[in-house]
Amino acid sequence: MSKWSLRLAAALAAAGLALTACSSSSSGSGSAADGTAPGPQALDQAQGVTTVTFWHAMTGQNATALTSLVNAFNAAHQGKIEVKPLFQGSYDDVIAKYKASVQQKATPSLVQVYDIGTRFMIDSRQTVPAQAFVDKDSYALDDIEPNIRNYYTVGGKLASMPFNSSMPLLYLNTDAFREAGLDPAKPPRTLAELGEAAKKLTTKDASGQTVRYGFGAAVYGWFVEELIAESGTLYCDQDNGRTQKAGKVLFDSAQGAQAVQWWADLVKGGYAANTGRVPADAQAAFKAGKVAMHLESTGVLRGYTEAAKFTVATAPYPRLTDAGQGGPAIGGASLWIDGPGHSAAEQRASWEFVKFLSEPAQQAAWHTGTGYFPVNRKALDDPKDKEWLAKYPQFQTAIDELHATKPTPATAGCLLGVMPQARKNVETAIEQTVSGAKTAQQALSDAAKDLQPAIDSYNSSVG
Amino acid sequence: MPGPTPGPLPKGGRGRRDWGERTLAWAFLLPSLAVFALFIGYPLGRTVYLSTHGNDLFGAPSRYVGMRHYTDLLASAEFHKTLVTTLLFVLLTVGPGVFGALGLVLLLESRVRGVRWLRSAFALPFAFSVASASVVFSVFFNPAIGVLNGLLSQFGAGPVGWLTDQRYALLSVCAATVWMNLGYNVLVLSAGVGSIPQETVEAARLDGAAGWRLARSITVPLLGPHLFFLVVVSTINALQSFGQIHILTQGGPDGATRTLVYSVYEKAFAYGSSDFGTASAQAVVLLMVVLACAGVQFGVLERKVHYA
Repeated sequence: MSKWSLRLAAALAAAGLALTACSSSSSGSGSAADGTAPGPQALDQAQGVTTVTFWHAMTGQNATALTSLVNAFNAAHQGKIEVKPLFQGSYDDVIAKYKASVQQKATPSLVQVYDIGTRFMIDSRQTVPAQAFVDKDSYALDDIEPNIRNYYTVGGKLASMPFNSSMPLLYLNTDAFREAGLDPAKPPRTLAELGEAAKKLTTKDASGQTVRYGFGAAVYGWFVEELIAESGTLYCDQDNGRTQKAGKVLFDSAQGAQAVQWWADLVKGGYAANTGRVPADAQAAFKAGKVAMHLESTGVLRGYTEAAKFTVATAPYPRLTDAGQGGPAIGGASLWIDGPGHSAAEQRASWEFVKFLSEPAQQAAWHTGTGYFPVNRKALDDPKDKEWLAKYPQFQTAIDELHATKPTPATAGCLLGVMPQARKNVETAIEQTVSGAKTAQQALSDAAKDLQPAIDSYNSSVG
Repeated sequence: MPGPTPGPLPKGGRGRRDWGERTLAWAFLLPSLAVFALFIGYPLGRTVYLSTHGNDLFGAPSRYVGMRHYTDLLASAEFHKTLVTTLLFVLLTVGPGVFGALGLVLLLESRVRGVRWLRSAFALPFAFSVASASVVFSVFFNPAIGVLNGLLSQFGAGPVGWLTDQRYALLSVCAATVWMNLGYNVLVLSAGVGSIPQETVEAARLDGAAGWRLARSITVPLLGPHLFFLVVVSTINALQSFGQIHILTQGGPDGATRTLVYSVYEKAFAYGSSDFGTASAQAVVLLMVVLACAGVQFGVLERKVHYA
C-alpha cells in the first residue's frame, strides 16, 4: 500500500511540475534587460491586440481613479493595445507575488512597486529601465518633477517611471488649535515646537482622563526616514546607496535617535496617543478629533477633508531643528516594465501606457482624484487642477514642500535591497523606546545590528 | 450475529476475485489519495526540502545548507520568545475557550427563562469570520477612540494600550480569540448535553442529585468525549491562528504577539524578506509542536475520557 501511494504521490508531483513548466514556456521571448528598448515599430509589426498585464496595489478611491485612466487608454488604443489592471493586494503583497512570478517565469508586463522596493527591482534584472525607452524615443523628462526623478534615478539613469508620488505632511485640527489659543496659520516647524504645541493641545476632563491628545501618528518607520531626510543626514551609507550599493544603515545616528526619543517622550508624557502600527487606527483617531496633530501621507488628505467634522489644515513636515538642510524624500510608487519573457510589442505597449499615465492631463485627473502629487509639473497648469487647488488649498502645502526641496542624496532617500526590513526594525525600535525597554539610541543601534546580516546576505546574493 | 457464510469457491477463483476487489478498493481510494498527495504530501515534502536550503533573491532554493536553519533557530533568542508566546497563546485560548463554553452550557441547563434565545446568542460568534470579528475587536481596542477605553473612562480609569502595550497585547488578542471560538464550543457541548441519556439524569435526580452535584458527577463526566475533542481541536486551531494576530497587532508591539505561525509568515512573505528556508524550518518545528501536543493529549487526557 505505501509503495502504491508513494508512486502515486510521485506521479502527481511530476504532473504538477510539468504543469508549471508548461505555463512558464508559454510566454514569448523578448529582449533581455540589456539596456536597449524596442521602438514604436515593434507595435506596428504586432498582429492583433497586444495585452499588457498590469499589477497594482491601489484600493478605494485610488483604484477607481486608476480604472478610469486605464479605460481611457484602452479606448484610445482599441484593437491595438489592451491594458488589464490586476489588483494584487498591498505593496508588500505585490513584491511577494512578483518574486514568485519570477521563479515561475511568469512576470506581469508592468508592475507598480513601492519606493522602497526600488533597489530590489533593479537587482532582480527583470526589467527594462525607463531610461532605455526615454533614449530610444528621445523623450524629454524635463516636465517630470526633479525631486521625484531624483528618487528613481540610479547611476544617472531613470530606472522606473514614477506614477503615484506622495510626501508626508503635518495635519492639523484647526478647531483644536483655536481652542488652545494657537494659530493654525503658524504651525510648529521643529520637533521642539511641535512638542510644546502638543502639550497645549492636550486636554483632560475633570477626572483627569485625556479627552484629546496633542499628537498622534502610526508607528510607521517611514516617518522616521522622513525626519532623517529633513535633517539633511543619511539613512544608509554610500550616499544613501546612490553612489554604490549601501552596505550598512545609518539610522542609529544622533538625528535618528533624537527623532525616536522625541516621539517616545511625548507618548510617555501623555501628550501623544500610541495607536500602534496599523495606520487606519491612527487615522481614525485624528478624524474623530481625538488627536490634534498628526503625521500622514498626502495620499489620505482627500479622505480626511471628507470625513472630518472639523477643518483640516496641512503644514510642512516638521524638522528636527531649525538647522536642518534637507527636505522630505518622495514616497509612493513607480511603474516597472518587465523585459525577459515578454515580446518586444508587449514591452513597447507597456511603455506607451506608462507614458500616457505621466502626461499632464492624466496626472491632473490622478492628482485631483486621489491626493497623490502630479509627477508631471505641467499638470498643475491644467484648468481642472487649478480649480481643484482653489477649492482645497490644503493640497498646496505638499506642492510647495516638494518644490522647496533641493535634490540631494539625503532627500533622494535610501536605496537598500532590504529596505522593507529596515523599516520594520525601526518600528520595533520605536516600540521598544515607547515601552521604556531601551533608550532610542540603544534601540536603534540594536535594530541596525539586527539588520546587518540581512544586508550582507542580500548584497552577496546579488553580487 | 453472523452473516450468511459464503459457499465454497472454486480453486484458483479466490485469488482472481481478491484481485478484483483490491482493484476496486484502490479505485475508490484513488480520489482521496490523490487529494492527500497533492495538497498534503507534496507540500510537506517541499517544506522539508526548503528548510534545508538557502534562498536566492526571489526566494527560490539556491544552495544546500543542511540543518543550519534549525541550529540558527535554536540559538536565536527571538525564536525562543516566539515559542513561549505560542505556548502562552495556546494556554490562554484553549483553557478559557473550552471551560468558558462548558460554564455557559451548564448555566443553560439550569432552565432559566429565555434559554433558547441565550443558546442562540452564545452560539452566535460561530457565525463571524475571523477577519470581520478581528476588525470589530480592533475598534473596541483602539486606544484613542475605542469602546473599552471609553467605558473605562466612565469609571475614571486610565486609557489602557490594549494592543499597543506589551503587557496587555497578548491578553487582548487571546480574549478576542476566546470569544471567536466560544460559539463553536458552545454548539458542540450543547449537542453533547443533548445526547446524555435522560434515564441517567433521572436516576441521578432520584438519588437526590441536583445543580452542582448533578453537573459534577453526571453531566461533565458524560461530556468527556466532547471536551476531549474540543481541547484537541482548539489546541491545533490555536497553534494555527493567524488572522486575528495579523489584523490586530501584526505580531507587535516589539514581538509581544508573534506566534510561530506569524513568524513563519513574517519570514516568508512580509517585508519582502522571502526567507523561505528559515520560514520552512519554523513550519517544520510547528508541525512537531502540533504532533507533540496531540500526542500528549491522546496519551494522557484520553485515558481519563469515559466513552459511553
